[in-house]
Order: sequence, then C-alpha cells, then structure tokens
Amino acid sequence: MKNVIEVKNLIKEYKNIKAVDGISLEVKKGEILGLLGPNGSGKSTTINCILSLLNFEKGTIQIFGKPMAPNAYDIKREIGVVFQDVAVFEELTVEENIDYFCGLYINDKRLRKQYIEEAIELVSLNEFKKFYPKQLSGGLLRRLNIACGIAHKPKLIFLDEPTVAVDPQSRNNILDGIEKLRENGATIVYTTHYMEEVEILCDRVIILDKGKVIANGTPDELKELANMEEKVNVEVDSITEKQLEEIKKLKNVDEIYYHNQNLTVIYKKGKNNLITLIDYFKKESILYDKIYSERPTLNDVFLELTGKELRD
Amino acid sequence: MLFHNYKYAMKTLFKNKPLIFWTFAFPLILGTLFSMAFSDIEKEEQLKTIPIAIVKETSNQNSMIINIFEHLKTGEEPMFQISYEDEKDAKTLLENKKIDGYLILSEPLKLIVKENGINQTILKFVTEEIIQTEEVMRNVVALEIEDKNMLTENLYQSVYLKLEKWKEENQIELVNISNKNLSYTMIEFYTLIAMTCLYGGILGLYLINQNLANQSANGKRISVSPTLKGKVIITNALAGYTVQLIGIALLFFYTICFLKIDYGENIFFIVLLTLIGCFAGLSLGIMIASVFKTNENTKTGIVIAFTMLCCFLSGMMGITMKYMVDKNIPILNQINPASMITDGFYSLYYYDTLDRYYFNIFSLCIFSILMLALSIRSLRRQTYDSI
Repeated sequence: MKNVIEVKNLIKEYKNIKAVDGISLEVKKGEILGLLGPNGSGKSTTINCILSLLNFEKGTIQIFGKPMAPNAYDIKREIGVVFQDVAVFEELTVEENIDYFCGLYINDKRLRKQYIEEAIELVSLNEFKKFYPKQLSGGLLRRLNIACGIAHKPKLIFLDEPTVAVDPQSRNNILDGIEKLRENGATIVYTTHYMEEVEILCDRVIILDKGKVIANGTPDELKELANMEEKVNVEVDSITEKQLEEIKKLKNVDEIYYHNQNLTVIYKKGKNNLITLIDYFKKESILYDKIYSERPTLNDVFLELTGKELRD
Repeated sequence: MLFHNYKYAMKTLFKNKPLIFWTFAFPLILGTLFSMAFSDIEKEEQLKTIPIAIVKETSNQNSMIINIFEHLKTGEEPMFQISYEDEKDAKTLLENKKIDGYLILSEPLKLIVKENGINQTILKFVTEEIIQTEEVMRNVVALEIEDKNMLTENLYQSVYLKLEKWKEENQIELVNISNKNLSYTMIEFYTLIAMTCLYGGILGLYLINQNLANQSANGKRISVSPTLKGKVIITNALAGYTVQLIGIALLFFYTICFLKIDYGENIFFIVLLTLIGCFAGLSLGIMIASVFKTNENTKTGIVIAFTMLCCFLSGMMGITMKYMVDKNIPILNQINPASMITDGFYSLYYYDTLDRYYFNIFSLCIFSILMLALSIRSLRRQTYDSI
C-alpha cells in the first residue's frame, strides 16, 4: 500500500528539551493511524511539524511522495486539519464559518455550497446552520470545528484530539463521522489520549511517550505487548490469606491484587481461566457479587511499557 | 478568493461589538461630551470686541491716550469698540450693560467698571499699561517731543506687545465676531479625529491576530490552507481600512450635522489627511499585532493606551499639554502620530500656506512605513519555533 505520509528521524527541541525525539512513522493510504500518548508526549508537536507550522531541528517529512514545506500549496490543498483548540469565528454563523474555511480551498461557489451541505450533514448540524458559535454547546462546537476542517473533502485529514471535553452523544456522533470519512477514502491521522477511541477507530496505533515512539502496530499486535492474556475482576465478600495464596497457584495465574474486597487476577496465557476461578470459589464457598473478565487494553500496554497510566 | 476573504473580514468586523464600540461609538460619544463640555468653557474664555466709552473732560486732554485707543479699535482684529460720551451717558450705558466700562480722561486717568470679567480685566490691564508706558516715554523724550505720532505709535506697540504676551500667558484669544470662528475647541475635535484614525489600529490588530498561527487557532487553520498568507493579510487589512473609513465618515457626518463643527473649506486636504491618518492607525495595529508576543486582550490594551497617550500629548484633554510639549519637548509631538494628524488639521485651518500640512502628511507616511517595516519580519514568517 502506498505511503501518504513518511516521517524520518524527526527531532524538535524547545530550549534544549526534545519534544519530539527522533520519531519516524509512515501512514498508508486509506488507513486511520492513531497517535496515542499522554499529555506532553509530543503528539500535537509532531502533527504541527508535519504540517510545516513548526520549525524542527532534524528529519524529513514527505506527504503524497513530495517534501512538505510551508509553500507546498499543492499538498496543502489535499489536507484537512481539525485542531485541538476550536478554530472558528465567533462573529460568523455555523454555515458562514464552514463557507469561509472551505473557501480557502475551493473557489467554485456552487461546488462549495454542495460541500458545505455535506459537511453539515456529516456532523449532524443541520438544525444549527444559522447559530453562532457562542449559542452552541461544547459538543456541537467540536462538531463545527470538524466540519470547518474537512468540508473541502481532503484526502488526508489530521484530527488532533477532536473529542476533548465532549459529551458521550457528541463523541459518538464525531466517531461516526470519522468512520464515514474513512469510507469515503480519506487517510486519517488521529491523536488522542482516549484509548477506547483508538481501539474502535484505528487500523494502526503508534504510542508516544516523551517524544519517542514506544510502540507501533495494530491494536491487537500492541495488546500482545501487555504481556497478559486476561484480567479477571471479582468483588468478594471475604477471603482469607490462605485462599489468596491458593488462587495464586491456580493454572495460568501470573499475579493477583486484593484491595477493599476487590480481587484482580491476571493471567498471562491460557483459556477457560474464568471457569477455573469460579470453580475454586464454589469449592471454597467464597461468596462474590460481581465477576468479569477483561482483555488487555492499550492502557495496560502503556503501563507495561512505561510503568505509568496513559492519563497520568 | 480575494473577495471571499474581504467579504468575511468585513462581516467579522461589523459583528464584533467591542471593535465597533471603539471605532464607531466611542468617538461619537466623546465628541458629544466635548461639545457639551467645551462649548461653555469657550463661551467664557472667548472674547469679542470689548465695548467701552471714553469721557473727555476737556477737548485737548490726553489726546495721546485717545490715539492709542483709536489704534486698538482698528485693524483686522479690533480689541475695542469705542464711543465718546459724557459721563452721565457713559454711566447709563454701563448700567444697561451696553458697555463693559468707561474711561474718564481726567488727571489721573480713571477707569470705571461695574462687573468682574475677562473684558474688564483686559480693559484694566490696557489702561494701566498705557499709564505706565506713557509716563516712562514722557520722561525719556520730555525735552524733544516733536513727533507726537511716533510717540503714540511707540506707546501703542508697547501696550500691544504686552497685551499679546499677557493673552498668551493666560491662554486667551480675542475673537472678532466678523472673522472666522477661531476656537481651540477645534483642537479637541482634531484630536478626536486623530484618535479615531489611530483606533483603527484595533481593527488591524484583530485581523492580523486572526491570521497568525502563533496567535490564534484560526491563524493555525488559515496557515495550513493553500492560500498565500500575503493575500489574506492584504485583503484583511483592506477590510479593516474600509471599516475605519466608514467610522471616520460617520464621525465627520455626526460632528458636522449635529454638533455643528466647522472643519473649514479644504475638503480635499482634509480627506487626504484622514486617509493617511487612518492608514497610520492601521499600520500601528498591524505592528503591535505582529511584533508583541502576548495575548490579544493585552495587545488591544496597548493600542488603546498608546492612542490615548498620543492624543493626550497632542491636546485632547486640554490644549495646555500641546503647548507644553511643543515648547519643552517638541520632538515628542514630531514623532507622535496623533499630533501629526491634529497639527495637520490645525495648519489647514489656521495657516495660509500648506508647508506645515505637507510636513505632517510626510511624517505620517514615514510613521506608517516604519510600522509596516517593523511588522514585515513577523508577517513573512511561515513556520514558528513554538505555537
């Protein structure tokens, strides 16, 4: 598959502190790449360097096979950006804002009108066309922000934390919209620190920490890095030290944690682990309220790789 | 694309209430306040020709004094309107407030006034000066007074010069009702126009901020678009200039039609000065937007504070300040854009030649070019160290 973006050995420093430390990445045509990392990990800085907004010390950036530069207007024409900060004019209505930003790419007024309608439809803002930004809720404002960035139907879209501080309904709407963009053939770079979104949306994930790529692969590939197969959580009424020691010796159990009547059992491999545990509880007459099994998440991967949580 | 950008820049400016307040409403409010406040002060401090009477006790007495007063009642700006009366009639005229005072040409000379006022003060000042100067000159030329006319002329010159000095010290202008209505309230309105021109800086500032990636989210979005940055900045500046000119036209319309301000007859030169003044204001805003590394509110504060300071120094809050700066630190007003605009209008109104006007036009052009030159480095930048 053809690479839409190729970044090699990118280094960006702020006063001798490396915000981006030798990042290399590739984005293939039609895929959604998730850039995952905690705040300050270098996600937005990397995107700003790719977009030629920021100077950088070292590295090369190619988009659509051509070197990216501030005056590479033919490349810019095919790019849409949704920044983390809402970028709209308070003095213009929803429709006018989309028209203004779309007009920076599309001169044909008739075509623009059609694109604006489609963008409004995509983010479900039909009822709010004549509203001013200050009349919109946070979630609707984020949707407008997205519509302004993608109305001109770009081939490559950067979405920089588009769902920050958004209500669940708007978040689902935004994620649905991104799926539609992919269906329409767009290549998407999606940065977030919400691992759930990455797991739902992304074909491939790059995990960043302190400006470096610490993992790169599909979500399933990355979960294997978590060094665990399954995590079982149980709310128990009471359990003795002896019983805890015995659980630790059950087949495939790697580690257990017990705190405030919450028992977590981590398995590195194997199948039917949950059944084995329930059988043990029956045998020992241990009473429990809830019991559920989890597959490892990207947060577990991040924890395994860095020793800290994604949202730390 | 150019028209698209211009259209939306105009829309954003006209819908931005704070901007509209500072560029449209504030000058009108200030103009109305000026009109209300200064018209009364001016009435008190302006002088018309002072009506007086002279009472001759004998036919030959003090003909020299009569000659001096005759001098002072002639010319382009006569100081006195004189009638010769007997004492009884003069007294009646004074009682009926037809005259401000009368002189009895007795030995010694007597001045009779009824009220305290600026006219009476001037009359008293002139009379005392005449008495003192006449005495000195009589002593000096006591032996040979062949040319009485020359003596009178010397006396007149002496009194006149002292009176002019006194007027200057007390900031009083004599106004002849038949002449053009010379008014230092006009200075206040000139500074008001200057202020409106410079407040255009807020428009320039806002529009430039919206285009710089390191200043606003909108700037980031515009910077990643395939649009030439220069095109966007120029069309935005043009929109700002248009709005500014509409604001200044509104101010002229309001002050001329409702406040009855007379800006003179040199319409072409007034328009030219206003156009260049607005451009200077816009370039000031562009410079502050692009050079200062702080948030938009602080920058707006800088533009407003700088404009108010410039207007204050050029005489907005009292003409004394303009005189003081002109006298003590003239360079300050030579580099002050508000002073350049004010002085340009002032020179159009008060001087027959255009030298001083053109000097101010030239100074404003230099100021604008300097502001834009300072801005260019920042405006040309396409990538940033941090955003």
